[in-house]
Amino acid sequence: MLNDLIIGMAGSGGDGIVSAGESLINASAKEGYFAILTKSFGSQIRGGESSCRLRVSTLPVLNPGGTLDVAVVLNWEDFLRFGGELPVGPETIVIYEAKTKVAPDAVPLKVKPATILCVPLEEMAIKAAGTELAKNNVVLGLLAGWFGLAQKAIIEGIHKKFAKKGADVLAGNDRAFAAGLEYAAQNPFAQDKRLSPPAPGKHASKVLTDGNEMIGAGAIFAGCKFFGGYPITPASEIMQYLQKELYKYGGSVLQAEDEIAGVAAAVGASFAGKKAMTATSGPGLSLKTEVLGLSSLAELPLVCVNVQRGGPSTGMPTKPEQADLFAAAFSSHGDTVRPILAPIGVADCFEVTVEAFNIAEQYQTPVIVLSDQEIAQRKEIVDPVDTSKLKLVDRLRPNAQELENYTRFKLNDTGISPLSHPGMKGGAYLAAGIEHNEKGSPTASGEMHARMNDKRLNKLNPLKKRQDLFIIEGDADATIGLIAWGSIAGVALEAVRIARAAGIKIKVLVPKLVYPVAEDIYRDFFASLQHCIVVEQSHQGQLHKIIRMWVDTPKNFTAFAKSGANPITPEEVVQKIRALATA
Amino acid sequence: MSDDATCSCPTPDTYAAKDFRSTLKPIWCPGCGDFGVVSAVYRALANIGRPPHEIAFISGIGCSSRIPGYTTAYGFNTVHGRALPIAQGIKMASPDLLVLAAGGDGDGFSIGGGHVPHAIRRNLDITYLVMDNQIYGLTKGQLSPTSARGTKTPSSLYGSIEDPVNPLLYVLAYGAGFVAQGIPGDMDGLAKLIEEAIRYPGFAFVNIQSPCITFGDPENQVKAQKAKMKKLTDLGHDSTNRLRAMDLASAYGTELYTGVFYRNPNPPETYDARIKQMQHDLAPQAKPLDQLLTLAT
Repeated sequence: MLNDLIIGMAGSGGDGIVSAGESLINASAKEGYFAILTKSFGSQIRGGESSCRLRVSTLPVLNPGGTLDVAVVLNWEDFLRFGGELPVGPETIVIYEAKTKVAPDAVPLKVKPATILCVPLEEMAIKAAGTELAKNNVVLGLLAGWFGLAQKAIIEGIHKKFAKKGADVLAGNDRAFAAGLEYAAQNPFAQDKRLSPPAPGKHASKVLTDGNEMIGAGAIFAGCKFFGGYPITPASEIMQYLQKELYKYGGSVLQAEDEIAGVAAAVGASFAGKKAMTATSGPGLSLKTEVLGLSSLAELPLVCVNVQRGGPSTGMPTKPEQADLFAAAFSSHGDTVRPILAPIGVADCFEVTVEAFNIAEQYQTPVIVLSDQEIAQRKEIVDPVDTSKLKLVDRLRPNAQELENYTRFKLNDTGISPLSHPGMKGGAYLAAGIEHNEKGSPTASGEMHARMNDKRLNKLNPLKKRQDLFIIEGDADATIGLIAWGSIAGVALEAVRIARAAGIKIKVLVPKLVYPVAEDIYRDFFASLQHCIVVEQSHQGQLHKIIRMWVDTPKNFTAFAKSGANPITPEEVVQKIRALATA
Repeated sequence: MSDDATCSCPTPDTYAAKDFRSTLKPIWCPGCGDFGVVSAVYRALANIGRPPHEIAFISGIGCSSRIPGYTTAYGFNTVHGRALPIAQGIKMASPDLLVLAAGGDGDGFSIGGGHVPHAIRRNLDITYLVMDNQIYGLTKGQLSPTSARGTKTPSSLYGSIEDPVNPLLYVLAYGAGFVAQGIPGDMDGLAKLIEEAIRYPGFAFVNIQSPCITFGDPENQVKAQKAKMKKLTDLGHDSTNRLRAMDLASAYGTELYTGVFYRNPNPPETYDARIKQMQHDLAPQAKPLDQLLTLAT
């Protein structure tokens, strides 16, 4: 029996491969497994090649994993187009369509897999259902049969999906699924490859969701009352979710005429006293930069989600990358520090978003949430969010006494001065992008500018002491360390667990607060280290460089960095660790 | 509004123009048309009678965009060209506020020009005042989007070789429900236009030909404008006739018409009203906040 199974499938647009993946993850959620489903498409708007990879486990899944345990190939051309996204190894079980007319000993793979199964998928579908369209259900039957995957829940899913299409279609698809099951039963593996049953628990409470939806829900929980944005891949689903939901909670959503108007309207809503958010991806972040600067100078809370994709410019909109960190940290003119938070998976998108609102409100600052395409769009089965441990922060508002002689930008010890909003009697002031004195009146005084810069930058210092925004795992006195952030953190965490299980002493640091750099926390982490690798999905290794701007690093401080859309797998990271451990 | 100190109810208090004047001293050059504009705004707001703290006055960047600071309203002097989207965000978040947006011709029709059609088609209840001086004054006299062809400036030494935007025609063409033009030389008329614009339930636009005394045409200053102006009411213009309004607006740059070009006699429902309706209709579907995401069955 297995505890963890990675299945990759590829075919043409009409083959129903992605739909089969969705059926599997839905069924897995109902039966109480954890799973991640990553879909990948060619650049065509419709049609073309499509693929998905599903990692199912009895334990929470940290990343989509590396080498496939099972590869399902509907045609070889499409499968091979996904290259490193669907890696086949010697242990992979390859199931492919007999119609491709490739002999099992001639499959076009660089590595010869141990098990190759040529199955007449289309023929079986036509025989069972009278149409080749049912072949994805033959595939589901095969997978359910060979790997013990959620049989009952899959059948329920098929029934639900085809209920409206009439009894004939439903019966045909039922027969197609049964044909797959039957084929698997008649051609058993020598060894049992079935997945263990899920851990007992309250399965019905599991949630199947993605990062964009979690961010939207987190925003509503945090008390967001306004969203302004513009459609952009891979962030649009945040706006779509909020458009559907936010009105129910007394908020509103503006699909603006452009990225600038989206963030501008959100700053306006914040000025009006409401919690506000915008969301975008790389090109949109570039466009929003000036207004983010306004939010910094006018000290108006704002959450800006940037779902990273391959860049620069249009780059690769449907692929993940972690290369917007420099832009998020530095793309404002003037002396500006804006906090950047990064979720590490679908599961923590909710609480990271809540935290982003809390920091924005507490410190009256824009906060950037750096998600990425991987987290944003993969489907993941997660435990429900335990909202009882989340607290909500609202901005400091002036009290009656402070409103008697209201001083919007009062200089004080914390740098956080009470913020009024239109409608509040006595609180009227001039908010501005222009430098101002304590009252808000425009100034060109160098002395006042320096004092206001002090206020705006120093007020964020307490953030750098927030241990709770960092995950540290492993051996405290290890000489080898890893650092990773965002969606790659799950890869690093798994690599460290594998290495430690193999007896290597190692520890890992995952910053959810990526910027400003928390010098003390890194310094403590570095104290025992001789080697440290920053694992990142960017060509330059941007976090690796940013850390070096602020902290003295260990002697051997390197980046294991790859451009976006080149998967980083736990196996590769473990290899790097082994190399250091045996050096 | 129920969740904070804001009050949407019309107040019985009465206000004088001076109640809207702040203590901040304008940076405008002596003789600038904008002095007349801000005075007209004070008078209009006094007549409207909303307390200053229930007014949000948003501007972009430019000489004229300094105007919110000279009022006692909540002001927001934002970034270049973005007054309208920011004002819309404010109105959406807090629909009971009186929201004014203002800026110059460069702010509204050059860098921010892309926002104007969308503000109009959405039709939030916002009043937009453009102080149109056909020049970039703050940056010392360059060509603006409303400068006449042939205008010589430091950035058009040989005379402008492009045609100007016609702000009135532009706004009328996109379907604004209230379009007017005034001049600071006619203070009574301007104050009344601004008041009417604010009272119009929807997006309202007032183009104010507010001359620049430093870089503008010396022949076209406040007094000269007053002599040139032709009141639309004197011409017997029917302000419910949109096509006739567009015809008159076409004379922008040659004739100085003042008054209301167009007022939609049947103002459609505003965007902010639709939002309130959606919030009301959808509120019963709200889930407990700890159950926002559950597994669909």
